[in-house]
Amino acid sequence: MLSMLVFGNGKTLEQVCLAQDENANVAIAPKPSEEVLAAQQQRIEAMQRASRSTVAVYGTDGQGGGSGVCISSDGYVLTNFHVSSPFGHRMRCGLNDGKMYDAVVAGSDPTGDLAVLKMVGRTDFPVAAIGDSDKVRIGQWCFAAGNPFVLATNLQPTITYGLISGVRRYQYPSGTILEYSDCIQTDAAINPGNSGGPLFNIRGELIGINGRCSFEKRGRVNVGVGYAISIKQAMNFFWQLRSGRVVDHATLGFTVATENSGKVVVSNILESSDAYRRGIRYGDEILRLGDRDVATTNQLKNILGIFPDQWRIPIRYRNADGVMETYVRLQNLHLASELEEIIKGESPQKQPPRKPPGGKDPIPLDKEKPEAPKQVNSAKKDAVDDLFVERRGFSNFYFNRLELDRILGLQAAQGSWTSSSESWKVTGEIPGENLSVEMLMSDSNCTFRLGDKTESLHPFQGWPKWIKQRSSIGALMGMRIWQQWNRIGPRLMGEAIYLGRNPVVGHNTLLDVTRITVSDFDVLVYTDTDTGLIEVIEVFSDKQTDPVELFFEKYETVDGRASPKRIRLAYGLETQFVIVINQLQKSEVTAWPGL
Amino acid sequence: MQILQRDDQIKPKSSLAAGEASAEPTLRQLGRSLALPFFKRSLVCAFMAGFSWVSSAQTFATELERDANVVINNETLIATSQEKVVKLYGAGGARGLESYQSGIIVGNSGHILTSWSTVLDVAKVRVVTFDGRRLDATMVGMDPQNELALLKLDDAGLVGFDLTKAAQASTGQRVFAISNLFGIATGNESCSAQKGVIMASTPLTTRRGKTKSLYQGRVYVLDAMTNNPGASGGALIDLQGRLVGILGKEIRDEQAGIWLNYALPMDVVKSTVDRILSGNTSVQASGLKSVAQPHRIDDLGITLIPDVLSKTPPFIDQVREGSIAQRSGMQTNDLILLLNDQRADSRKSLEKMLATINRADSFYVLVQRGQELIRIHVRP
Repeated sequence: MLSMLVFGNGKTLEQVCLAQDENANVAIAPKPSEEVLAAQQQRIEAMQRASRSTVAVYGTDGQGGGSGVCISSDGYVLTNFHVSSPFGHRMRCGLNDGKMYDAVVAGSDPTGDLAVLKMVGRTDFPVAAIGDSDKVRIGQWCFAAGNPFVLATNLQPTITYGLISGVRRYQYPSGTILEYSDCIQTDAAINPGNSGGPLFNIRGELIGINGRCSFEKRGRVNVGVGYAISIKQAMNFFWQLRSGRVVDHATLGFTVATENSGKVVVSNILESSDAYRRGIRYGDEILRLGDRDVATTNQLKNILGIFPDQWRIPIRYRNADGVMETYVRLQNLHLASELEEIIKGESPQKQPPRKPPGGKDPIPLDKEKPEAPKQVNSAKKDAVDDLFVERRGFSNFYFNRLELDRILGLQAAQGSWTSSSESWKVTGEIPGENLSVEMLMSDSNCTFRLGDKTESLHPFQGWPKWIKQRSSIGALMGMRIWQQWNRIGPRLMGEAIYLGRNPVVGHNTLLDVTRITVSDFDVLVYTDTDTGLIEVIEVFSDKQTDPVELFFEKYETVDGRASPKRIRLAYGLETQFVIVINQLQKSEVTAWPGL
Repeated sequence: MQILQRDDQIKPKSSLAAGEASAEPTLRQLGRSLALPFFKRSLVCAFMAGFSWVSSAQTFATELERDANVVINNETLIATSQEKVVKLYGAGGARGLESYQSGIIVGNSGHILTSWSTVLDVAKVRVVTFDGRRLDATMVGMDPQNELALLKLDDAGLVGFDLTKAAQASTGQRVFAISNLFGIATGNESCSAQKGVIMASTPLTTRRGKTKSLYQGRVYVLDAMTNNPGASGGALIDLQGRLVGILGKEIRDEQAGIWLNYALPMDVVKSTVDRILSGNTSVQASGLKSVAQPHRIDDLGITLIPDVLSKTPPFIDQVREGSIAQRSGMQTNDLILLLNDQRADSRKSLEKMLATINRADSFYVLVQRGQELIRIHVRP
């Protein structure tokens, strides 16, 4: 009867489910209405759908165990770092089709407790629908799927149903660098073995990765408080993790404190930080970071925790002159050596763990179940072992090669420059200023003429001094990198590492980023994820100085190749000038008049 | 702030609507809420749309009355209820004693109902509201039998649960628990919500001797994991957002090692509130004057533990052989809770209260001895 009433008012599916549950208490339960049965059917289907993408993670010997979720048809799996790390680089993943698949680790995020695995053996793995964790609200129904207590011996995931208990929770690091920021709290039973597994909303969309619980006195079983890393954070890190790196979280270059008045103000700032260069000073009030307002220190930590280092995110602050808006380039939170130690399984413990005020340290699940790293390599080598390449600073360097190959493959489809000669001449003009520009680029010398002034640049070293002067020759640097990237490829320019996907000011979508360490400077090359075309090139001298930023704003197809038509030079966020390129010539001439 | 002022202005309308409820005067005093958060929302909307807020509030009130039994969306329901649950901070923090717990705002006069615990052993209890305001509350009174206490804030415009609308719950009914368990939420962060079902409605006395609980009355046994640090004093609500109980203190079956998730039902809660507000149990002996020849602690023949804290509990260290105290039945290790039904929360307040009783007169004390409450008639 209640269910009829509820439906008469046009209520949501959740309430229908509830009403149905209440019917169970009636001595002679009335036959549920069609709507109730339909709602139940929807729930069953959502859980069945969700079960297909849920992964049971085991060691190569079938021992140990955690959970994961498959998010791409080629077999990329999200899980917890603390699930994958005890297994070494290789593991086995079970799906609810009853089959086990070999898997290797791609990237690791020890701070955010995430890892990406790659399953092999299929090109049509079942994929979880990605939900919007920003829309999760307290009081919504949700369910977790996974392998609690390693129950999934038949590889069928266990489903636990619950309520969203809290959102945007910040959980202090517990003993290690591991930190859960902006996480989702649920009373759906999350137990050891659920770690790394998915949390779904009632529609079966992935909203989080389960991984942590508050325990107190009843041993390591659920006491009604589990935490999931938001899927937003996981997806922000997904491509960084696919790079095979040990990825890092970020700092702003300043710390904040909440004043008695409730304002969040800068309490300390590094003068070498990007934030300082963008004008932020001690005592400024932080109003907004990313796409969210900041009212407390916890909120700032929550927002910051979901971003990888090197991301450039919008910030709004207030100083004596009023409200300012700018972008801040995030800095790495840890030294590479610190992360390496974590990967080795030795948490540095340099600082005592910070205690939440009056709270209990939540503990990552499964932490007390150490599994010795499996020495699978020594046993026998097979095809899956070809998917692992060891290298310092990487979980698996194989995947870094793979991603860089992907980008170069995209770019090759835009027309090849590889056979072209080493000497290029670019002519153009700065519109509105009646200034002509000429750039000559060869392996022996590069020159830049702006109007009637000419400067000469070494082809691959000594660039930092120009960058510190914010010289207009930065445009030539960017073009020279563009030339070399297209002509000889990034791997011959220096050490080329694929970093992941980062936002760029003025672009709505993330771009693939490759870092190339040339002689005495670093270059970041941002390429379009569909076309592989270079969108931005940044050239860094050191951390204290704004890099050259050359934006490739327009391309034109010339001789079957995508050729830059308009470029823009900027330092910091200030545009120096725009060049419209009239012609890009390649010649065999190696010596230029006047040199 | 502006919105809160407007709430004040529409109070007459809301109390009109709530006026039908037949309750004790003290309860009615607490009961003037009529889901004010809805008014708040409608006011915000009206304000933004540029309508006259008064007429809008009126319309909304009528709609609300008509649809009194409407099932509200979970998110709204919990969000609304969370605004009536506060985080409390006080004494503790050492040896497994938490220094935080939860509390429920009742009525619209700044009253907060919570568990009576060591957290409250401070002069002022720090209250953090849903919107992050940090306020200080004083204790109005406590009820040792029900292990509940009532605090009061200076009117901060807070809107609480309407006790006249509180509901009885039955076994099998679905409920939500809202509390700050584990102290997860700080500042303006929302308290945690948990789902549950009332598994049984049963007296705790049947478990007497197995559980360490002063309270021995009826409880709702829950399947929600509420027996966690900081959860006690939280709200148990039904699907209409009505208060059906208050989450109890942590108790555990000593033999089986089982922790019991439970809540005190509203009839118990209401009786406590009534008793405290009618002055049967209160913090201070207000209005009473010192007498010329009063009782003194020494003369009674008891030694209390040394007065080293601002609020040292009146804990009996020694009872002198042949003294008044011994003849009346007081024992070493008794903790004096009430004196003539007034709360003696410290040695100082006990001394003050004794000073108002003539040496020739008898009086009553309520002591806690282990897990028992014992009422003692002290005759000179």
